[in-house]
Amino acid sequence: MNLVISFFRKLGPEILSCTYEHIYLVFFAMVMATVLALSVGIYLTRCRWPKLVSVIMGIAGSIQTIPSLALIAFIVVIFAFMGLPTIGTVPALVALVLYALLPILRNTYTGIRQVDASIIEVATGMGMKPYQILLSVELPLSLPVIMAGIRISTVWTIGVATLCALIGAGGLGDLIIKGLRSIRLDYLLAGTLPAAALALVLDWILGLIEKWLTPEGLRVGT
Amino acid sequence: MITLRHVCKIYPSGVNAVDDLSIEIAEGETLVLLGTSGSGKTTTMKMINRLIETTSGEILIDGKDIRRQDPIQLRRKIGYAIQHVGLFPHMTVAQNVAVVPRLLNWPVAEVSRQVDNLLAMVGLEPEDFRDRYPSQLSGGQRQRIGVARALAADPPVVLLDEPFGALDPITREQLQNEFVELKSKIKKTTIFVTHDVFEAVKMGDRIALLDAGRLQQLDTPVGLVENPANKFVEQFLGQHRFQLSLLTRTVQAIMPGTNEKASRPDKSIPSLHLRAKSSLIEALDTFKETRELTLPVYEQQQYIGNLEKSQLLQAITQVLGESGDAQ
Repeated sequence: MNLVISFFRKLGPEILSCTYEHIYLVFFAMVMATVLALSVGIYLTRCRWPKLVSVIMGIAGSIQTIPSLALIAFIVVIFAFMGLPTIGTVPALVALVLYALLPILRNTYTGIRQVDASIIEVATGMGMKPYQILLSVELPLSLPVIMAGIRISTVWTIGVATLCALIGAGGLGDLIIKGLRSIRLDYLLAGTLPAAALALVLDWILGLIEKWLTPEGLRVGT
Repeated sequence: MITLRHVCKIYPSGVNAVDDLSIEIAEGETLVLLGTSGSGKTTTMKMINRLIETTSGEILIDGKDIRRQDPIQLRRKIGYAIQHVGLFPHMTVAQNVAVVPRLLNWPVAEVSRQVDNLLAMVGLEPEDFRDRYPSQLSGGQRQRIGVARALAADPPVVLLDEPFGALDPITREQLQNEFVELKSKIKKTTIFVTHDVFEAVKMGDRIALLDAGRLQQLDTPVGLVENPANKFVEQFLGQHRFQLSLLTRTVQAIMPGTNEKASRPDKSIPSLHLRAKSSLIEALDTFKETRELTLPVYEQQQYIGNLEKSQLLQAITQVLGESGDAQ
């Protein structure tokens, strides 16, 4: 018990500020990734050029295959060439957004494409405009799939964001690196446990949002 | 009134889905587009609300070329219902029915009044069904909502694409009967697509039988069954001709010529009677049920004579003979 109390007395403030930085990174990365992936995903469902779809999906997919550490390193190197800031939040956010794109993009695209074609046709036949079909038919019906993509992406991003400490973006990675450098278990735990808890809590919250947003008609059984 | 003039649809693949089709559909008439799959019947229907654009020829609704109209506005004036999945699963029954009135910005109170009226009209208690979701309905109930939704904004024209196609035979027949009754009440210009010749004969004022995009015959149900225009029509009717004749031929058509119209003094219609417009099958059923040998025949309120069971049976035998000759 004493151990726990002294642990928090010593590391408490640091844990709090690192968790705050971590949430800050993840939150803004997810908002940007979601907006970007949703718009591109929706555009792709309307795109008449199937080649473009596979090209963009391919790019998003191959970003995912780059090890996350390497992706961050690449961003830093590219930023250095372009004369952009190489440490801090900006390159970290860019790396996180790129990494978070694929699940949301893929799920938005497939979610909307799996909406029954005859439902779209009947909506068109009743005189709905394309944007009305998107907002009141396609998005509500594909929402569970899109939300699943956002949840997967969020959990990944929380993990990847610990690496951003390497380029001075702060977050819980700071504590983990400190623990690694000084061979200290308490610092390691102080970075790892909040990150794990954060993943669980955010996944739970997003689950609630998903439930809340999912149209009732899709939830009720037969 | 809907006019199709030399309408063609050729797909980019070169398939000639509809070939030089000219039909005129009168105000309030129900025209059935009948044919096998690939006959062009659904393509024809979808060209009317511009879900598919014509390749050549013109389609006029009330004299106005539909291609000069905004497709969105055009579609809001045309009711549309399709087989099985037509309902939006994430919307309640009321929301589904209200789609087009909402698109047309009807006042909220009027929309909900209209929804209740329509639900009552298709035989579903509004209190009970308004807030249900499609997944909580039976197939027959869903189809009723589909028809109600097509009628929601009181459009002058209604397109129905095999609306009863996915139902079991009993529910199907029930809905067909209800629809026949409904359409006599609301008098909309209706285009009804089906591949089922019995449904066509039952629902249609006239039937357009299509094959490979070409019009084979455009006729009343009786005309189609009694005088097939060509070999294809004969084949299409095939072994059903006898049954179809019994369905399309009315009691009136086989009545012996009598001149005792209105000769009966009592004005009240006896409970046991035949209607002049009844089919021979219905008449036969009535004779079976009542075990009578002679029944009076009425056209609306007017007595037009007596029909004997033997006369009916003789007429049926004659039909059997005719359809035997044809094959």
